[in-house]
Amino acid sequence: MKFVLSVLGCWVAVILPLWAAVVQVQVQDERGKPLPDAVVFLESREAKLLTKPLQGAEMAQLTRQFVPNVLVVPTGTAVSFPNRDTVRHHVYSFSPIKKFELKLFAGTPANPIVFDKSGIAVLGCNIHDNMAAWVVVVDTPFYGITDGLGLASMAQVPTGNYNLRVWHSRLPVGAPATEHTLTVGNTPGSTTVRLAGLTP
Amino acid sequence: MNMTWQPSRWGLTSRMVALSLLLLLLVQAAVFSVVRTSIEQSAQRQVQQELLVGEKVWRRLLDQKAQQLSQGATVLAADYAFRDAVNSQDRDTIRSALQNNGARIGATVTAYLDPQLALLAVGEGQDEAQIKPLLTRLAGVSAQQMQGSLIAMVQKTPYQFVLVPLKAPVTVGWVLMGFPIDQKLLDDMRELSDMHLVLISQSQEEPSQIVSTTLPSRTLMSLVSVDDMVREVPVPGDLLIARTVTLYSGLSGNVRTLLLRSLNDVVAPFRQAQVALAWITALGVVLFAVGSVFAARRVTTPLRSLVRAAETMGQGRYDVPMEFTDRKDEIGALAQAFDAMRINIGVQQDQILQLAYWDRLTGLPNRARFREAVQAHILKFAQETSDLPEKNMAVIMLDMDRFKHVNDVLGYSFGDQLLIAVAKRLTQREMREGDLVARLGGDEFAVILSGSDVQTAVAVAQRIAKSFEIPLALEDQNVDMSASMGIACYPQSAQDVDALLSHAEVAMYAAKARTTLLQVYDPSLDFASAQNLSMLSELRQAVSHGELRLFLQPKIALATQVVVAAEALVRWQHPERGLVQPLQFIPFAEQTGFVRELTNWVFRETARVFKALDSGSPHLRVAINLSTRDLLDVDFPARLDAMLAEYGVEPEAFCLEITESAIMDDPQRAQNTLHTLSKRGFKLSIDDFGTGYSSLAYLKSLPVDELKIDKSFVMAMESDEDDAKIVRSTIDLAHNLGLTVVAEGVENALIWDKLKELQCDEAQGYYMSKPIPAQEFSAWCKAWNTRHMLLPSRSAM
Repeated sequence: MKFVLSVLGCWVAVILPLWAAVVQVQVQDERGKPLPDAVVFLESREAKLLTKPLQGAEMAQLTRQFVPNVLVVPTGTAVSFPNRDTVRHHVYSFSPIKKFELKLFAGTPANPIVFDKSGIAVLGCNIHDNMAAWVVVVDTPFYGITDGLGLASMAQVPTGNYNLRVWHSRLPVGAPATEHTLTVGNTPGSTTVRLAGLTP
Repeated sequence: MNMTWQPSRWGLTSRMVALSLLLLLLVQAAVFSVVRTSIEQSAQRQVQQELLVGEKVWRRLLDQKAQQLSQGATVLAADYAFRDAVNSQDRDTIRSALQNNGARIGATVTAYLDPQLALLAVGEGQDEAQIKPLLTRLAGVSAQQMQGSLIAMVQKTPYQFVLVPLKAPVTVGWVLMGFPIDQKLLDDMRELSDMHLVLISQSQEEPSQIVSTTLPSRTLMSLVSVDDMVREVPVPGDLLIARTVTLYSGLSGNVRTLLLRSLNDVVAPFRQAQVALAWITALGVVLFAVGSVFAARRVTTPLRSLVRAAETMGQGRYDVPMEFTDRKDEIGALAQAFDAMRINIGVQQDQILQLAYWDRLTGLPNRARFREAVQAHILKFAQETSDLPEKNMAVIMLDMDRFKHVNDVLGYSFGDQLLIAVAKRLTQREMREGDLVARLGGDEFAVILSGSDVQTAVAVAQRIAKSFEIPLALEDQNVDMSASMGIACYPQSAQDVDALLSHAEVAMYAAKARTTLLQVYDPSLDFASAQNLSMLSELRQAVSHGELRLFLQPKIALATQVVVAAEALVRWQHPERGLVQPLQFIPFAEQTGFVRELTNWVFRETARVFKALDSGSPHLRVAINLSTRDLLDVDFPARLDAMLAEYGVEPEAFCLEITESAIMDDPQRAQNTLHTLSKRGFKLSIDDFGTGYSSLAYLKSLPVDELKIDKSFVMAMESDEDDAKIVRSTIDLAHNLGLTVVAEGVENALIWDKLKELQCDEAQGYYMSKPIPAQEFSAWCKAWNTRHMLLPSRSAM
């Protein structure tokens, strides 16, 4: 996977503590348009150590859609799948990081699914073929999803060298998140990532 | 119907019929040809069109099949268990699931591909290598293009491949499913389109092979080779038009479908139309033939009738009216014109026949008609085989005596009425079947007495003669008529018509000459007539060869015994017969007209010798006899002038003697001629006076100088007192009229003396001298004068 890292400039906000900084990442598509809903996360050995499961993560089903469409959770997070529709759903995943199947259920199933391996799981509903969602399991507490302007901010990121990874559901099926090196200083930093090879 | 006309009987009809049929057939042939061509073209076009449509249908069918397969495959790919199995990561499980699930929908080739279409696994029991070429083809094909189907060969079998995504729920891979294009699809197509299909595959560098077909095996044998582009396949009784639809063509080979459409099926409805057209043509030909025959008959039947009518007319029958004259068309007009022509020709024919065969004056048949009638009788007799006594007939030829005289004296109109009256008398007689009275011309009539022998004919002729004894009363005048009749009988006298008529005529002339009223033909008469003919030529010869001799008989003045005149007579010194007597040739010469030659000769000879004649008296006068014909000859006086001038003789030296009858034949012309001659100075004398019927009043009007008393009176006067009285009164009468009188036939002294006593002026006769040759005349005169000068007072010798 080809990626482009472009550091346009970085500055540290004086008002922020010295050991931590805010990292803002701008994700664009090939043509430079801001790309919303892209998953951005920073990996490092230190970060991995800081990882702890997220409480209360859920992938709800509402109006026959997964909500949210893309869920980013740290490794080990138990994700519940509340069904807020009146119809039943049959949520499944054939993804290698987590294969599971929640047979026809209504309401919240008893046991949430624990995503204990990092990677990307594609969720589907066996009843509703058009329902699809992604659970991005990361080994880091620093992650975010780009907003409508293609911006994602990660706060309190300790200084150090990181592996900035960017993923989007429009990347080819099975493709891993792109990787970029990123050094986080004391001051808030900003970086822009262009994703190529997006499917339409 | 006339048999001779039979061969051409159908001529016009058949030609008209043939022509109209020919034209009809030409038109029909043209129509047929055009129809046939256009059917062929149309059929070809239609077949091509159908094949084109067939190709679309075929492709659509394949597409539908593909869609169907695709849907099936899609459903299959969405099967959770299948997805679960495929995502099991276990290769054998995947292959097994592929094979198993593919089999559910009939896919015999299945494969699982990753999202980038890289081969991950093939169905159980399948060879990866088989679909490698297909994957090569798939490379670079977009997902959209994969919606359809692909046709490819797997192990020489054409397959229809579909590619469907495996979604979980996003597309995590592709499932490729291949279905062999099977017989059922071809059969479906056959049902849809009435076409036959041949599915052909060709692997790389291998001959084409037929995979499956809807053709029956028998027909398939006609498909010799499918390697080349097949356009048509001839099969027994049909032609299949082919269209090749290439389903796939690539490096590894190709897949083609041959669409075959039967030309017969397409042409069949047209064929029906053609058959109908043929029937219409046949019906049209029949109708046309019938119509043409009818129409032609409408023309030819009247034409034939007209031809028959023309033939009838050609045979001389004009009494058969034409048919079809009541028709209102041209035929009717023609028939009417024909009919008018028939009537007119009939009328003209009658007129012509009338003119040709009938005498207009008397209404009797004419000579031509008479001759034909005689001919008809002879033919009839010849054809009749029976030996009937009636096989004979007699012809009486009748000629009026002195008709010319009547005509001249009483006028032609009177003469015509006389002829009509004669005709009436002849026809009043009771006629038998086949009898016929005709006017041959002039005053000549003829009668056919059918079945009569000589005796009957003579009896009839005598009855006719008797009927003529009754005078004819015409215009208050009674006219005595007599006729001379000649009778000739068939078959005694002659066997053919001309001889018969000729014999009757000969007999008639004989009767006239002999004044016997009627004469039956006898060969001796004919001999005489033949002799006459030779005599005519001999007479001519006599003139040219100088066989004629001039004789003179002196006329002596009774008072003075002086030779005052002489009568010139001709004698014929025939080289063989010697001296021919005048009676033997003069009447004949008068009959034939040769007498004018004789008169000429006598006059010329007399003029020639005149100066040498010495009678002893100063004025010798030579008398020359003139015939009727001389008197009627207008040029006669001029001829005499020329001869007088030639020999220098005065007219006064001649006395021209004319008989009473010669004058009476045509009194008017005779009178004219006599006046002319008299004015020239010729003396004129009436010869044989007393034998004719001439009236003295008439004689008085003639410029005559002398009367010559006929010798019959003179010779009889010595014995018959009556004759003596006639002679005496004649002499007195002549003297009173101022004429001199000559007596001929003075044969003895008694007569001489008596004449002298009666104061007759001149005498001529054997008593004084016979006619003597001219050259001896002078000598005789000398002798006579010598004798009588010596004895001047003697009254007799």
